[in-house]
Formats: sequence, C-alpha cells, structure tokens
Amino acid sequence: MKCTVSWLQQFTSTRDLTPAQIADRLTLLGLEVDSVEELFLHLDAIITARVETVVAHPDSDHLHVCQVNTGSETLQVVCGAPNVHEGMTAALARPGVVLPDGTKLKKAKIRGVESSGMLCSARELGLSTDHSGIMDLDSALPLGLSLRKALKLEDAVIDVDLTPNRADCASIRGLAREIAGVTASSLKPLVDRLEPLTGKDTGFTVTIQDPTLCRRYAARKLTGFHIAPSPDWMQQRLSAVGMRPINNIVDITNYVMLESGQPLHAFDFGCLEGQAVVVRTPQAGEKELVTLDGNTRALTADTLLICDSKKPVALAGVMGGQNSEITDKTTEILLESACFDPVSIRRTARRLGLPSEASYRFERGVDPDLADKALQRAVDLMVELAGARPDPDGHDVYPGKKPLLTVQLRLARLCVLLGRDVSGEETQRLLTSIGFAVQEQEEGVFAVTVPSFRMDIEREVDLVEEVARLLGYDAIPATQPVIFMDSPEETPMRALCRSIGQNLTSQGFYEAINYSFVAPDHLDKAGLPAEDPRRQTVHLRNPLSEEQSVLRTLLLPGLLENLERNSNFQNADIRLYETGKVFYPRQEDEQPEERMQLCAVISGQRYPHSQPLYFSGQAADFADIKGTAIQLLYRLGFPLKSGSQNGISFEAEGLVQPYAQSGVCLAIRAGERRLGVLGAVNDSVLKAFGLRQTVYFLELDLEELLRTERRGKRFTALARYPSTNRDISLIVPEQCAAGELLDAVLAQKQKYVESANLFDVYRGKPLGAGEKSVSLSITYRSAAGTLDDATVDKVHNKIVQALMKQFNARYREGVGV
Amino acid sequence: METRLRALQEEALDALEHTSDSASLEAFRITYLGRKGGQLTALLHQLGGVAAVDRPRLGQLANEIKANLERRFEERKQQLGAPVGKAEQQQTDLSLPGRYLPFGSLHPITQVMEAVCSIFESMGFAVAEGPDVELDHYNFEALNIPKHHPARDMHDTFYVTDSLLLRTHTSPMQARIMEKQEPPLRYIAPGKVYRCDSDMTHTPMFHQVEGLLVDRDVSFADLKGVLSSFCARMFGADLALRFRPSFFPFTEPSVEVDIACVMCGGQGCRVCKRTGWLEILGAGMIHPNVLSGVGYDPDIFSGFAFGMGVERIAMLKYGIDDIRLYYENDLRFLSQF
Repeated sequence: MKCTVSWLQQFTSTRDLTPAQIADRLTLLGLEVDSVEELFLHLDAIITARVETVVAHPDSDHLHVCQVNTGSETLQVVCGAPNVHEGMTAALARPGVVLPDGTKLKKAKIRGVESSGMLCSARELGLSTDHSGIMDLDSALPLGLSLRKALKLEDAVIDVDLTPNRADCASIRGLAREIAGVTASSLKPLVDRLEPLTGKDTGFTVTIQDPTLCRRYAARKLTGFHIAPSPDWMQQRLSAVGMRPINNIVDITNYVMLESGQPLHAFDFGCLEGQAVVVRTPQAGEKELVTLDGNTRALTADTLLICDSKKPVALAGVMGGQNSEITDKTTEILLESACFDPVSIRRTARRLGLPSEASYRFERGVDPDLADKALQRAVDLMVELAGARPDPDGHDVYPGKKPLLTVQLRLARLCVLLGRDVSGEETQRLLTSIGFAVQEQEEGVFAVTVPSFRMDIEREVDLVEEVARLLGYDAIPATQPVIFMDSPEETPMRALCRSIGQNLTSQGFYEAINYSFVAPDHLDKAGLPAEDPRRQTVHLRNPLSEEQSVLRTLLLPGLLENLERNSNFQNADIRLYETGKVFYPRQEDEQPEERMQLCAVISGQRYPHSQPLYFSGQAADFADIKGTAIQLLYRLGFPLKSGSQNGISFEAEGLVQPYAQSGVCLAIRAGERRLGVLGAVNDSVLKAFGLRQTVYFLELDLEELLRTERRGKRFTALARYPSTNRDISLIVPEQCAAGELLDAVLAQKQKYVESANLFDVYRGKPLGAGEKSVSLSITYRSAAGTLDDATVDKVHNKIVQALMKQFNARYREGVGV
Repeated sequence: METRLRALQEEALDALEHTSDSASLEAFRITYLGRKGGQLTALLHQLGGVAAVDRPRLGQLANEIKANLERRFEERKQQLGAPVGKAEQQQTDLSLPGRYLPFGSLHPITQVMEAVCSIFESMGFAVAEGPDVELDHYNFEALNIPKHHPARDMHDTFYVTDSLLLRTHTSPMQARIMEKQEPPLRYIAPGKVYRCDSDMTHTPMFHQVEGLLVDRDVSFADLKGVLSSFCARMFGADLALRFRPSFFPFTEPSVEVDIACVMCGGQGCRVCKRTGWLEILGAGMIHPNVLSGVGYDPDIFSGFAFGMGVERIAMLKYGIDDIRLYYENDLRFLSQF
C-alpha cells in the first residue's frame, strides 16, 4: 500500500514530522515501511526568476532574448515560448541542471546569442502535458526559490508492506488514522455530508440474494458527465502510488478506493436489462462471463455475481463484465459501492488467478459502514471533475448490518501479558486515539467498543496488542522469565547425527545438504529395478519443476550430482556426506514414513587437498570406504564383530544394491538386521550421473543403527608383562578370503592370544597359479607373567595346524618360528 | 638370513665397545658400515636373493639393524670426542609445507543451526524435531490459520494431497509439543521447511528454528528478555535491537525483531534496503486460540513463540550474497566454513 505524505495531510496533521520520521512511526506501529521516495526532487534545482526584459532575437522571428533576474544575478536566456513577457515570474533551469527527459543544460549560443539556461514549460518539468508556453508562476513568489518549494511539491511516497490483518490500513485515510493517533491530531471525515439514499423513484432495483455473501449494496445513477483525462493533481497522485491514470470516471473510482479503502465499480446503466441489479450466485445454465479484459471466465456454483434481470454483468468484487463496460457511447452510469464476503471473493480471485486492488481489499475485509460515505465521495468528485449529474436518490441495501462488537479488557490481565504496569487512563487514551470507544465497567475492567473498520479485533488479547503497539514495544522492559530448572535429554537421533558429523568431518568429509525433492529419473539413473520399493515415491502436487517433483527415497543420487558439479569445477578429489531424511509413502492422506539416513562418498585421491609433496597420486579404493565405516562405527561405540565377539559385521552377499558394482559391495549387518551397505558405484550409474571416475559409497539407515546396542566404555587394566609376537605365512587357494584366516585365529579362542593382524598378501613366483601367501602376525600375552617361548610355541603351533586344516593351506618354511 | 643378520649385529656392537680412539672408530666404520666391503653392506646385497615372500620383512629387519648400528656409531664418536663434521647433518627445510591428514567441515547451515540451538539449550530449552511432510491441521488450522484466510498467502505451500503438505514453517511443532504435555515447558524445534519460491533470496527448501516457552504469567517482557539474550550471544552484545509490531495469525501480540545492519552498522545499505535494520526473527505471545486448541486455559497459561530463518542468519554472519550456494554443495563454498 503506497501513500503520499500530502494525501495523508489531507486527513490529518503530520505535525513537523519529515517523511522519514512518518515512515519510522508507521513501522513502529506495525505498519512496516518498505521504502520512502521523495517526489519531485528534480525541481530542487529549478528556481523562480523574473523576466526583466524581452527583446526579439536578431536572427530569428520567434525567439526572444530575455534578461532574467534570479534575485542574486541577472542572466541572459534565449526563449522561444509565445507567452514570455516582461515582469512574469518563470521557472528557470540554469546550466548544469538535468531535466526529467535527461537533457543536461549547458551555456550555449543560440543563433549567435549566448543563453545561460532555459525557461521551462510544465511538460519540460514533468508536471503536466502542457507545452503551450512556459510556466507563468505567481508573481508574489520570492526570486531564487526552488520550484519544489514554490509549488509546494515537497511530497514523498511511502510504501507500506501491510500485514493481512490490517485491512483498515489499505487506504490513505486508514494510515492517516494511525498517524493521527501518534501525533494526537484529529482525523477528518471522508465527506462532510451524506445525501440520504432511500431507494425511492430510482428507476432501478437492487436485490441481494444472500446477505452473508453481500452485507451491503449501495448504488447511484449518474448522467451528463463528459469523459476526459483527470486533472493533473489527481493523475499525479495516482501515478505516485503506482496506478495508471485512464480517464476521469475510472480514475475517480480508483482514487476513492485508495483514499477510503472502499472498492467501487461503474456499470454502463444502459446495458443493465430490466433496470435491475441482483447480487447472486449463478443460475442453471450460467457457465461463463467475459470480463473487461476480454477473457472468458468459467463460473462455479459459489462465484458471487452482479447480474441484471437476465444475465451476469460482473464478477462481484473481482472484475466487471465486458457486457456492461463504460465506453465512449455510455450516457448513464451506475456507481456501485458494496461490501462482499471475504472468503467468497478470495475463492473466485484465486480460482481465476485474478488478483486486483479490489479483490485485495475485499479478501481482507472492507468496512461495511463505509459504502455510503465512499459512494458520496465518488459522486462529489464526479460532479466536480466530470460535470456529472447524480440522480437525487439511490439505493443503499444493508441487510448485513450488525451491532458493533464490545470486548472486555481487564487491566490486570493486560499488565500480566505485557510484563509492565499500564494505567487505566493511559489504556483508555491510547485506544480512543485510533477510534475505539472505551468505558470503564468496574475498577480495572473496560468495555471496549470496536469500530466497524477494525475487523481484526475480536478478543481481549487483540486489544492487548493494540495497547502494546501504541505504547511502543520499546516501552516494554526486557525481563527474564522465572521458570523451573530443567535439564532435558537430547533425542538419540540428534545426538547420533552430531557424533556422525564430528567423526566424518575428522575423517576428511565435508557435509552436504541437498533438497528433499528430486527428479523422478534419479531412480532410473540409480538403476533401481521396477519392483524396487524405493520406486514408490511421494509426489508433490505443485512442484516448481519436474526436477523437484518427488521426495527422495535415496540420498546417493544427490551426492553423485554434487560430485559431478564439483568435478566440473576441477574438484575431483572429494569426501562428502549427508545425513537426511528419505520418504516412503504410506496410504493416501497418511503422512509418509520419514527415515534418517547417512550416505558418504569418496572419489579421486585418497588424501584430497593435501600437499602433493607428501601425498601425490594415491587413488582412493575400497579399503578407504570400508575404513571410514569401521572408524565411524567403532568410535560411535558400536561393537564390531571380530572372531567370536558379536557385533556389526561386514558381509559379502552378492549384489546388495542395484547401483553397486558386482563384487565390490558389502552389507553392514547387526545380526538379522541390515544397517546399510558400502561399495563401489557401478559403471552404468556413474555414466548416468555424468561421472568418469570411480566412486565409493557408504549408506547407513540411522533408524536401524539406533536400534543397535552400543558397547559402553569400559576400562581394561593395562598389561604389566611384555607380549610376544609370532608370524606365520600360509599358502592358500586364491578364493580363500584373507580376512577369514584372521577371524579363524580369533575364533579358536586359544589362550594368550591378544590380537592378530594381517601384514602381507602375496601372489606370484615362486607360488603357483591360483595360490597366494597370507602372512599374519599374532600377539600373545599373559596377564600373569612373561610368557616363555615354549608356552607360546605350543599355542602357536596349535593355531597354525588348525588353520592349515581349515583352509587347506601349506606352511612356508623359514618364516615365523 | 635372519639369524645371520642378528649375529652380525651382535658382533658389530661388541666391536664398537672395544674402539678407543678415532682411528679404531674409523676402522670399525670401514669393517661394518663401509660402502665398499663393509660386512653389513655385503649382507644387504644378498637380500636380493631371498624368496620374494620374505623379502619385505627381512629388508625391514636389515634396515633396522643398519640404523641401529649407525646411531650407536655416532654416539660412540661423541663419547670419544671425535671431531664432528664428516657425517653430513641433514638440514631441515623449515619452509616446506606442513603435512596434515585430510579434514572436512559441517555445512554452514548445520553450524549456524547448532549455534542457535546450543544457545537455547544452555537456557534450558529442550530440542524436538517433527515431520517434514505435515498435516494441514498442524501447519495451518492449529495455528489459527483457517482455509481461505489471507494469511495463507504468506506461505507458498507445496501440497502432496488436500490434507498433506510440506511444512511451510517449523511452527506446527508448537501444537505438536503442547498437546503432548502440560506447562511449564520450553522447547526449540529446528528443521527443514519448504515454500514454492526460488530466486536470489529464496530457495524452495530452507531451515528454521522454532521456539516456545509456556508457563503461568509469561509476559511480553519475558519474550523481549529471552530474545535479547539470544541476539546478544548470537550477534554480539553491543548490536542494537529493534522490536517492531507485526502479524502472525498464531501469536498476539506479534513482533518482528530487527538487528542493526551488520553490513553497514545501521547507516543504510543495499542489504538492509537502506533502513539500517535487518529482520532476524518473528515472534509473539502464543494466541489464545492456539493455547485452547491444545487444551490449555489461556486465562491461566501464557507463553511466547519465535521462529527464525537459518539461511538468513548464516548469510548475515558470513556475508554470503546468494542463497542458492547453500544447496550446490560446491567444495569451494563448503571448505570456507
């Protein structure tokens, strides 16, 4: 909602507040000002000057050479205007001034005569379209005065970002009321007198079918008008607040709407069959209406219409019909000022995508008590500016008249809610200043009558807000609430996500956040087969684009897109992870299942962004993602399966995910439950996402992970006696997994075995084809004392024999014992 | 081989014990460590002949023995006061770059959201999280926003069905939290929210932190106190604050909190639209309709609620000028935080 300061001043005094100060007051009243724009600033440089002498230009038959007095100097100016004459006060633009059309004035010679500036016409100064001659100003004006001051054009446009509750401020007068409240000024009425509308001998009828949809309908017929452009002042005001001037009749309806908040509509009365206005919803067979803009609009059963005796002629409160539009041939107009139901108007405007200044106001609520006053104001202006003759009487049908609401305000509750004392007198004064009527019912209890224009005030707390904002939020202290002590526990999922973040960032990962909605083709790109349950997605009904139309069921595609983007920017070495929700649909209208998941990816060099001096050229491989998973799970306190010890295990189960590369994929399991997967992304998926480098991924379902029991932290006494190592190298068939040998060592549960590690896997000569050598180192220790060689050898031999048997292995000479 | 290596080591150490001057020391060096004909050197050459399986292990052992002998030789030389100088002291080039393991970081949104949460957690607020796909009831109806209310214009909503939508704010958590328990309570609810809007300053998904505190006699002054404390810790104690009336259907009185523009210090610039102020959070006293909707008596209980946009705070804190950067996950962006 835009307003100009001068327009505000038409209704109230702004005292000595500058436009910026007015804007500030409005903002602190809850009417947030977006911008303040000073008007006519270019007129500051134009000054009043008296034309002292005028002589004909020696070399031209229409130019004049004038001596112009600015009060401080006399300048010679060449002027071609027919109306220039000695003694007139004119508007002078001196060299250096830039005119509204962009022309920069310079001292120049015009046909050989020097000219220091220009005497301006109103059009040249952007003040009107008049270019018949230069401006002839009031000769009483002092010389050298800026034209902005001389013409009292020191105005500014204030743009207020209205909140939906303040329908009353969608008008100049409404904003003026708020200003009047803070400056303790009076508010002038919209019109000084009201001609009574009795509905007798009007030559037309008004019928309201349903008073809940139309509380009030006032209308009056006018004739004898001449359609012409509006006067300059009206055009200037309309333009200043962003409305395009059209002609006097249209401009007056718009002007009064802006001024009062009451939307008006003018019909061509000659087009109304049966001289009737009927406010109703469509009858059988009424399917559409062609609106003013030439578009055919479909009607629904709840579309509120203005009709004549036969047909619809307007979408009530939204847009007029073409069949009753004012044209050059119009001789009689019917001016409508009505109050329609907000919800009905909103529905129609929404459905048809037709927001207008009128529907904007009706949706928020128009004061039903305003209809007659706004109508009178428009009629007065049409008489004054368009020479219209109003019919002596008109209709004012007001079936929806309701008594004003009275709300009780308890001073004690007010003070509790605000957290400070406010006196009864102060409360009364503040509320009265913006139109409330306040009566003290009993000590500390007020009956507050809500004016009809404040449709947002329904209950006590609304009045509390009024008092607070009029008092000023700054006038309320800042205190700390006195409240019970509490030490709430963090939710396990939140704690888990935080630990994951700490762990993975310390392992070199950056956290990514991707949109929850993705392109449906992610699932094709990820190679999910038709029967994969993750193909069942939640669809948005109104996505911004196809690319963001379904909720994700997988995190990996988002990260693959991130990898692609980064490699396009020469960042191919990357460790990235995301923790976020995936969404699995349930029944229609039931909220989908939302599951927290983790996905991490590694690609490119093992040590991204490290100094190449130290870490060049080592590509990440499967062991990196496996190690990431182990470190993550271990440091988060989850037990890992090792030997006979139960815990989370990594198991090769074939192709665990359709997007994994065959043979490079492990399931992460806790007993029967699968927690996640890790592996390499297969080539076709890489290709689908435009990636040319290997990507390793880790996926964990955090809901499942949370259900997994963690090992607590528990101290083990430090060893007091030294350990003894024994190495062993065995030749085993190629298909035997090296890690299983290690597990087998621990699974034997032999005495003194503290740990076992792999330290070499070798293939090639002198070993045969299909063979490999696996070297283990086993650490033995006793808590009771230092082990002697014989004891260790005995145990070690047992282990070696068992391994050879279990794995069909050969023992290599010269190693270990 | 291993046996021979270990035997040589013992022999050499014994010989070293028996050196007495620089001459005998030099003789020792030539015998054992000499580049030509030294015994250890000779043995090292033979390593090439052992089985490939054993080579790494034995190589390592040999190197350890060599290093040990050289160290003991240097120590002995010091003991005997032999002139230093012949052994080349390796210069450490201090200008070489440091060596570090790779490191990553949390997304700036996560960092700011955690910072916001931890301030409120330190004031005793609990954290709750709710569904992203929300019922129309919690997102609107329970918050005093009926169907066809113009306030719905403030939310460009993504719908799934007539009654399901992507939450447009974290405020649905107000009703979800309150209907589960009795006051007193204080909670914050961080999370993702969605609106169909996309440009330089809007992304269709963004993050909010909601908060509420309900008890007997909670006042607007308390709201001011708690939010002032928060802003002081988040943005610095000397930054000016402005509490300005506003409108949210679920609070009354409603307020928007502005901080003095961090870019221009309140002078007026492009970021603050020349006002000198930046809107940082919306808040208000919880509307009686919301309270009675969850079964609280609004004449007994009162409380305040607030909400803030995490992206905006992060933009102001870090000087980020394009909101879309948050979701491109470009390493050049992520690695700055």
